[in-house]
Amino acid sequence: MASEQINIIGKGITIRGSLSGGGDLVIEGHVEGQVALKNHLTIEQSGTVEADIKADELTINGEASGNIEANSRVAINNTAKVHGDVKAPRVVIEDGAVFNGSIEMDVKLPDDI
Amino acid sequence: MANTIIGSSIVIDGEISGDEDLVIQGTVKGKISLKESLFVEASGVVEADIDTQNVEIAGRVTGNIAASDKVELKSDCRVVGDIKAPRILIADGASFKGNVDMDVKER
Repeated sequence: MASEQINIIGKGITIRGSLSGGGDLVIEGHVEGQVALKNHLTIEQSGTVEADIKADELTINGEASGNIEANSRVAINNTAKVHGDVKAPRVVIEDGAVFNGSIEMDVKLPDDI
Repeated sequence: MANTIIGSSIVIDGEISGDEDLVIQGTVKGKISLKESLFVEASGVVEADIDTQNVEIAGRVTGNIAASDKVELKSDCRVVGDIKAPRILIADGASFKGNVDMDVKER
């Protein structure tokens, strides 16, 4: 196993509740509740997440519903279906992706507005 | 090889269910119900009721354990709770406090 830790939630697994911690996480199964991660979260094509998500970087190939917040980047790939609000400095939506919700790219406004 | 790994830096508070093997190296609180095997590794901390087919524990578990096949407590594990399973193995060096119910129908 690589020194960098990779966590996998497999296809047959369902988690209800809150999931937090460091390390990269790959979700191939089903997660409901809250996800807060310090590193990279990947939702694979078979993965469905109904949760508020906070992560450093997020790659979505599957289904996600809930509010999404990332410190660096959110990538919504062509197989993804996303419902919810996305907040991140960089947001990428590929051709073919389904997205409903608002996007906030965290543009800093002057204080006097 | 198990598909799902909850690594040592991950904390889950809630319910885990499923039909594949699960390896816990991190912290899980709540409830675990699986149709396959659960492995709690030495770094794993579980505060949950567990309902699976097989359980192998090398870490710390607090909660009641029910297995349809086998429960194995490895050396250096610490387990507090009641265990119910047809087959229970406790290795030398394991710490365990609780009741054991081997569900033997005779007697």
